[in-house]
Amino acid sequence: MAKWGMVIDLDKCTGCQACTTACAMENNRLPGENWQDVLFYTEGTYPNVSMKWFPRPCFHCENPSCVSVCPTRATYKDPEGGFVLIDWNKCIGCKYCQVACPYGVRFFTDEKAVVQPDIRDVFPAKDDRQWDPPYKGPQDDPSRGIGIQPHGVVSKCTFCYHKVSKAPEGVADLDEDIPELKEYVPGCVRVCAPKARFFGDLDNPESYVNKLIADKRGVRLKEETGNKPQVYYLSGGAAAAVPGLRSMKDKS
Amino acid sequence: MINTSKSNLVFVVAIIGLIVTAALVLFNLASQGHAAFNGSNLGLHWTFPIVVYDYFLLTSTGLAMIASLMLIFGGAHCQPLVRRCLWLAVAGLVGGVSVLALELGYPVRAIWAIPTSFAVTSPLWWKVMFVIAYVVVLLITVNLLRKPGEWPAAARTSAILLLLAALGVTGIAGVVYGSMTMRPFWSSGDVPVAFIFESLLGGLAFAIFFSYLAHGFSQERMSAPLRDVLTGMLPKVFALAIFVHLMFVGARALIGLYSNAEGLQVWQYLAGTSLFHIELWAGLVLPLLLMLSPGLRSNAGSQTLAALLVMISLFIARYDYIIGGQLVPMFKGAWAPELLSYAPSFTEWMLLLMAIFLANAIYVWGEKKFDLSWCKQA
Repeated sequence: MAKWGMVIDLDKCTGCQACTTACAMENNRLPGENWQDVLFYTEGTYPNVSMKWFPRPCFHCENPSCVSVCPTRATYKDPEGGFVLIDWNKCIGCKYCQVACPYGVRFFTDEKAVVQPDIRDVFPAKDDRQWDPPYKGPQDDPSRGIGIQPHGVVSKCTFCYHKVSKAPEGVADLDEDIPELKEYVPGCVRVCAPKARFFGDLDNPESYVNKLIADKRGVRLKEETGNKPQVYYLSGGAAAAVPGLRSMKDKS
Repeated sequence: MINTSKSNLVFVVAIIGLIVTAALVLFNLASQGHAAFNGSNLGLHWTFPIVVYDYFLLTSTGLAMIASLMLIFGGAHCQPLVRRCLWLAVAGLVGGVSVLALELGYPVRAIWAIPTSFAVTSPLWWKVMFVIAYVVVLLITVNLLRKPGEWPAAARTSAILLLLAALGVTGIAGVVYGSMTMRPFWSSGDVPVAFIFESLLGGLAFAIFFSYLAHGFSQERMSAPLRDVLTGMLPKVFALAIFVHLMFVGARALIGLYSNAEGLQVWQYLAGTSLFHIELWAGLVLPLLLMLSPGLRSNAGSQTLAALLVMISLFIARYDYIIGGQLVPMFKGAWAPELLSYAPSFTEWMLLLMAIFLANAIYVWGEKKFDLSWCKQA
């Protein structure tokens, strides 16, 4: 079975947010509740200031703390592909997974709207879903956290499970440049204009993602937590960078 | 003796307060959903309702631990406090769990989804399992001691099981936070032990305060055995419990202020707030001084004041611990400030009042129904 993973080349990432927008459209995200986001931050004080950015999906960890803390097994690790998914039919909205995720990539969207006006009032849902957007896609699988998020549950990036899981078996990489495979490429990878994102099978020694990780010394975020993300970053010192610290300034 | 007209008044006030606050909370939740709370996806996931829930739950287990220890080791002279502690534990448990039910996304689903999931890697799953065991054993113990009279032989066995269940709930509540290594403010191996001592202290404070409340804050109205407990062993144990908890609080604060670990920046903020100093000086140091003074230790006024201050201090401690652990965002970024800001919403404050009124209504009902002050006169 494949173990899908992503490589993000920070030397190529321009922070254009095309990935954020594509993910929002593909997955019917509420404005501001981005499964895939690009974080911007500044370091230093004037005049020695540098601006940095950091693209951040869910990392679909090998040892995900969100899975081990879930009291109902609503969050689970899919053995066929290595996706970390949420069964919305089992989630009780306790938010323990949000607390335990070291990466802050999970969303409980019943709270106050991040962006005004509240789009949920503009496109209200008739059932227990959060909203009823006019452009929603056909994909709907609550047992994998796919579709429009219901009330009272936590959600997160699925690595576009609804696309990737339909890819032909044995494929090493999902690349939008290969015509017969482009429909299976995750939304954020497919739209990346500078081609900073790569998606492939981490268990396949022939995959290009493995070659990139080996040749360019791919790093994973917050290795000290033991979660072992399946998203690797390539960083050669350009403006985009893996943040080393959580805080803006030294404690002292 | 218990003043029936005053307890009736407290009961009526509690019921009216419960109806008003529950109506406000339910209306706001029905009209706004969880937007009525001030949580956010920036990092503040567990907010004031979880603070209230944990405070009431751990006070309940603390009271149950004290009742169990008295049943197991205390002998007859502890009798006048056991029934009150047990019933207070029931009242606190109901108050806390009701708040949790209003905070969860799917509380009804939780009833079956947690026990049937066998999610043994989750500290929360174990906590719920221990809470279920705790509820069952607590109700059995209350039932065994329901009628005034000699303690039945089964009460001792039941007390041992209750002590184990209460220790389990409290210790695992500590594991829920202590195991979060990605949040250094929460994470530490000593957290479960600190929670157990904190619960014991809370239980002692509630036992003392409500014993006085039931007797109009007068030792003269108490039975001789109860007066003997409250002026003899109990204030000394209370002083020791305050001291142990104070050591935990002081050590955590000093290490937090000293360390450069990411996430512990919050200690600088907390140590600068008035709440922290009220918790430390007014809520722990002052009660400790009162209980260390031989002249004041047995005095009704100073005991009541010390108990009340400790109760408030422990609530602030619970608030600072749960909220403080989430104030440093997981990532720096343009969207996230150095520290997140949080203040409970109106609905969240109403939840606290609702829990207080509900717990008090249940407590006073039990006072009237079960004669919690009964004890065998010498």
